[in-house]
Amino acid sequence: MSEGSTRLKWTSDVGPGAPFAGKEPLPFGRRRKRPRGPRLPVVVVTGFLGSGKTTLIRALLDKPEGAGTAVVVNEYGEIGIDHALLRSSSDVTVLLGNGCLCCNVRTDLQETLRELFADRARGAVPSFERVVIETSGLADPGPVLQTFATDRGLGREFHLQALICVVDAVAGMTNLEEMPEARRQAALADRVVVSKSDLAEPGAAELLIAQIAALNPAPVGIAKNGEIEPAFLLDEPPVARDNFELGRTAHTHGLGSFSLVFDEPLSWPGFEQAMAVLTALRGSDLLRVKGLLAVAECRGPVVVHFVQHLAHPPIELEEWPDEDRRSRLIFITRGLARAAVAQLFAGIAAVAA
Amino acid sequence: MFVAANRGLSRKEGAYLTAAARGARLLALVGPQLKRGRQMTDTAIWNFRQLAHHELDGFGGIGEGMSIQIAKDGRRILWLAHESAPKNFTAVDVSDPRAPKLVARADLPQSHMRSNSLETVGDILAVAYQTTKPGLQPAGFELFDISVPENPRSITFFDCSGPHSRGVHQLWFADGEYIHMSSGAPDFIPSHPRDDQFYRIIDVKNPSKPVEVGRWWLPGTREGDSEPPPERHPEGADTGFRPHNTNVYPERPDRAYLGYIDGGLVILDIADMAHPKMVARWDYHPPYHGFTHTVVPFFDRNLYIVSDECVRMEGGDWPKLVWIVDGRHEANPVPISTCPLPPLEAFQRRGGRYGAHNLYENVPKPNAWKSDRIVLGTFFNGGLRAYDTSNPYQPQEVGYFVPAPPERSPTGSIQINDVFVDERAIVYTVDRHVGGLYTLEMDF
Repeated sequence: MSEGSTRLKWTSDVGPGAPFAGKEPLPFGRRRKRPRGPRLPVVVVTGFLGSGKTTLIRALLDKPEGAGTAVVVNEYGEIGIDHALLRSSSDVTVLLGNGCLCCNVRTDLQETLRELFADRARGAVPSFERVVIETSGLADPGPVLQTFATDRGLGREFHLQALICVVDAVAGMTNLEEMPEARRQAALADRVVVSKSDLAEPGAAELLIAQIAALNPAPVGIAKNGEIEPAFLLDEPPVARDNFELGRTAHTHGLGSFSLVFDEPLSWPGFEQAMAVLTALRGSDLLRVKGLLAVAECRGPVVVHFVQHLAHPPIELEEWPDEDRRSRLIFITRGLARAAVAQLFAGIAAVAA
Repeated sequence: MFVAANRGLSRKEGAYLTAAARGARLLALVGPQLKRGRQMTDTAIWNFRQLAHHELDGFGGIGEGMSIQIAKDGRRILWLAHESAPKNFTAVDVSDPRAPKLVARADLPQSHMRSNSLETVGDILAVAYQTTKPGLQPAGFELFDISVPENPRSITFFDCSGPHSRGVHQLWFADGEYIHMSSGAPDFIPSHPRDDQFYRIIDVKNPSKPVEVGRWWLPGTREGDSEPPPERHPEGADTGFRPHNTNVYPERPDRAYLGYIDGGLVILDIADMAHPKMVARWDYHPPYHGFTHTVVPFFDRNLYIVSDECVRMEGGDWPKLVWIVDGRHEANPVPISTCPLPPLEAFQRRGGRYGAHNLYENVPKPNAWKSDRIVLGTFFNGGLRAYDTSNPYQPQEVGYFVPAPPERSPTGSIQINDVFVDERAIVYTVDRHVGGLYTLEMDF
């Protein structure tokens, strides 16, 4: 939600009362089968230096499920090495050169993905069906998330399918404690892969998983020799999760996550106003907000996604993923507790009613 | 394998990487695809899933007639019109779209004719016959009883031949009562030989005795009209002032939506079938190169989707487009956007035609898919392409299917010609020359 309320922005061309809305106005456009709709899925693999990102991607590319993958490698160093390791496995490999994806190479990423999209349309590169981005070990995934968060960035053509964080069982615990970049990577991830568990001391992986869980309730998988079930990397993370009801705030160095559940359908204007207030006052502390909403104005559930002060256009789905028809929102924040956010939503709902 | 954007590397190092990558390119492409069991290495597919490909046993040149019949025994039969002689039509059992089976195939009686268009309603099949030159026979349409798909039996032949007629190019048959078609007639003398076909309505309520109930032509195209003949398009781009598709829908039984080739879009009031009246025309040629092909109304959204047909090789008549037209004020259709296509350079040299042709027409029959958001169009070597028109000012491409060049393709390329979607949302698309039938699922 940049620049305050986005209500008009999302609904002016296609919403109720628009000239070509038809009998059944769809405020967020055509209902989609899945949150990414037709967009190309992008899997971003983060992880601290040496955590095993390249090995994980290589193992994926060697599996049938990995066919049709374009790999974009961001390396921090004089001459790229990781992309050379990946080159023999992927149809399309692009190296983003010197620098960190979160800093000077971010526009390179946008340009590269746009070029890839155009080259693919005109047949200049093989017709890949997903992109895997390997970030440099020092990258903060936040800015990368932002490039996919709006249709002014890459969000019209590409969909961030999953942010994967690789944490190695040998050095991961120390990195999480001492390196703020490593903490942010783990906190923002949709899924965490623990690597090198075979090299670590017995019990180390279990301790590490507990440490990650305190930071992020995301599912954690253990890679064996760099390999993990491809679906764990490639599938869209479900918005609803088994541990969703926890609603906990687990602060580690100011980072934490919590969830809100609403039993009754939300009114879209009320939801928008609540998020507008949050993003206006605390946008930089809203690292990620993901949700599946029952919206009073819509038949299908609506997927929303915020990264700091940016909002991706909402997507209305054809079907609910399960029997649960309640609205669910997950917040990953910095120094912002659940109670304050819950009170904000409750207050606006009370005023709106 | 493709290495680019070597930012941070010196030019020399970048060149080295690219060259090294080229050496491994084919291996890299073939490897993962073979593992996946793909048969073709250079099919480009996005948000479609290919279910099957049937080359129709060597006669895989399909025109622009595709229609589903549910046979009495429950089989789902797809009837296909052939692009050119020697075959007339082919029936394929697509009950299992992963395993289409050839059921029946008929030959044309003459080599100087083609049956490029067909439709089925229930157990009746209507097939258009057009001859290569005026004055030849048989020119008209034939009705078949297809209650046993393996054994189509002729019911009647409706003769449209005449000294100035090539017969029927295209017919629309959806309600079981009337055939709307682009046809010549024995008594019709066009003011220019390229304007030999016009709009005719034939009552087939008694299939043994079809009767013409109405006709319309663009004023000036018949010899003796009081209006002057239309100004010809330049030689080489003069494809005639005559209808191509003639669509009529139950939502507006009083309207016929005509792609009138060099005449643009034409909407007729056919409430009185004996006296059709033009209520709207949108003619955008010149500067565009003519050959308006299909008009599909999205009734609830006040939109028309209009396609051109590309008729020249290698971009000779580029651009041939799919237009989104604002139909809120019926008398004044206003184009508001076109469906985006890859640049001409990308497809121009692949062989054959590249540009718009047929659209999926929201066929008003029970075994046909309906959507007033998604447009599916065929673009010859540009393949099958899907667009979301939720925001009609900015249609967005949401999928494509560009098969590898079929073996023995005379153009060296795929030439995707037509598309049909059944009520199960299974997509059927065909090659114009040899490739036959492809079945797909939509995944967007």
